[in-house]
Amino acid sequence: MSSASRPRRLDTIVGPFADLLLTADLPELSDARRAEVVAFVQRRANGVPSFTRFGLTVIALVYRGVMVVPGGRSTARFLASKPIPLLGDYPRLIRSLGFAYVWDRWPDTLPTGGAS
Amino acid sequence: MNSASATAQMHAEVLVIGSGAGGATTAAVLAEAGFDVLIVEEGEWIEQGSVVPFSLQQMDLQYRAGGVTVALGLPSIAYTEGRCAGGGTEINSGLYRRPPEDLLQRWATDFRIDDLQPDEVMSIANEVEQAISVTLVPGPPSAPSDVLRRGAERLGWQNSEIPRWMKYATGETSSGQRQSMTRTYLPLAASHGARLVTGCRIDQLQVANGTASRATMTLTDGRHGTIDFRHVFVCGGAIQSPALLQRSRIHGFIGRSLAVHPTVKLTARFADELNVPGDVPVHQVKEFAPDLSFGGSASQPGLVALALSDQWRTFSRAITDWRRMSIYYAAITSEGRGRVRAVRGLRDPIVTYALTRHDRALLGSGLGRLALLMLEAGAHEVYPSFRGAPVVRNRRDLATLRSAFSASKASVMTVHLCSTVPMGEDTTRCGANSFGRVHDTSNVWVNDASLLPTAPGVNPQGTVMALAIRNARRFAATEHPRG
Repeated sequence: MSSASRPRRLDTIVGPFADLLLTADLPELSDARRAEVVAFVQRRANGVPSFTRFGLTVIALVYRGVMVVPGGRSTARFLASKPIPLLGDYPRLIRSLGFAYVWDRWPDTLPTGGAS
Repeated sequence: MNSASATAQMHAEVLVIGSGAGGATTAAVLAEAGFDVLIVEEGEWIEQGSVVPFSLQQMDLQYRAGGVTVALGLPSIAYTEGRCAGGGTEINSGLYRRPPEDLLQRWATDFRIDDLQPDEVMSIANEVEQAISVTLVPGPPSAPSDVLRRGAERLGWQNSEIPRWMKYATGETSSGQRQSMTRTYLPLAASHGARLVTGCRIDQLQVANGTASRATMTLTDGRHGTIDFRHVFVCGGAIQSPALLQRSRIHGFIGRSLAVHPTVKLTARFADELNVPGDVPVHQVKEFAPDLSFGGSASQPGLVALALSDQWRTFSRAITDWRRMSIYYAAITSEGRGRVRAVRGLRDPIVTYALTRHDRALLGSGLGRLALLMLEAGAHEVYPSFRGAPVVRNRRDLATLRSAFSASKASVMTVHLCSTVPMGEDTTRCGANSFGRVHDTSNVWVNDASLLPTAPGVNPQGTVMALAIRNARRFAATEHPRG
């Protein structure tokens, strides 16, 4: 696998999960803003150090696998709400990156994600 | 100071890898002594003031991996490293503490460090304080800083304003300019002929029979090249320095004793607006030092949201009030240790850290005491950063906090990393000798936070700079420039 192709692959895995979490946590965040946040999360995920990246990819694949089966999106949301060792660190990272970006970029965003 | 252009083959009498508190001071001392010095820095030169302090933009430009770096463990500990000209001095709080004299004595005895004279180190500390303009804020402390002072005084706890390396152009606190390495020791090094190349990562040192002679490098644009040298000083910080030595097949006691100050955080909400997004509080509470210290963190709205995210379901409504909120930390002197391991085929090292049972208990009691301090300072609500945390509104809630806390559920982080190549003559627990030369090598030196034998229990930059200057001066006194 070339170094150029790896980022695109992790993008593909992380993006839909970040979108799922943000939709659940910040339901009133506009589509345009959510897309911008997801792009940021993907960029940061691509930049993490090698070993963390490996772990992130494995856990992200687990969540991705859950999400593609029927009813899987609600299962993924349920798993993301639980403090499961290691598995739980992934949604925690995605959520913290997303929230940091939202309020850094639009400080007066409402808790629902809506614009004030 | 302008960066020199990198070429595929470069030469230097002394190669300094890294431009932070250790590398910049080393380069300045050696260039002034007449050595031909080349400094290489993996990050870029970012002009101070061109990015908002503690913002995501700054993390993108000046932090390794955008600030997403972690020491694996249960819990994992998030840490940050500077990756820019000036290293961590460009992005840290700027708070200055002298090396504690009793600690220097203890290090000298326990790790068999020759000629580690507290008087000499304090004399160098005096010079450093002049060079980087260590001073108190000219006016009253900021409101988030005053919270720490007020709460501590009500409880009768020892607290003080910590000076910073800062120049105040107009006498106003808001006019402060950080006297980081890009403003002080790097220009000083340049004035004595040192060259700086940015965007240059050193991949490996070529070592034969304990002597290194060449470094292989990769430039930001992907080009590769080499640097030939007579001596090399590795000053990439406590994670990157041991990793480079290991990649270069230099073994010994390298990367086995990572020490940090783990911290847990909370966010406190007050009646009045107090958030200062671009600055950090200058007061610290040292009543329980060195085991436990309290201070204030950067509190950009994005960071407030991040601090609330562990318990978003119940804490989220507070975010609209971020102007009335500020983030505080409890830092511990940890008994635990971590490791840095370079793995063939991986660009970055694997970093791990294990908290002890005592550490976990200390983090919990620290967070409880910090919450108490916030209540005494007038906080209406306190939001601790761990999963399942309660909102603390009064002293009764503190018991709930203490019983609900578990380090494994907390967002533990650190900014002080050290001790991965401890200095001293005891080769069973030291990676470098009493002046930073890596054991079993003739010309490979480490001169950064990696050398500190243990976590110092205070902001370490002052200690790092004083020891780096001491070691560089010893080098200059024993080696001679080729001229």
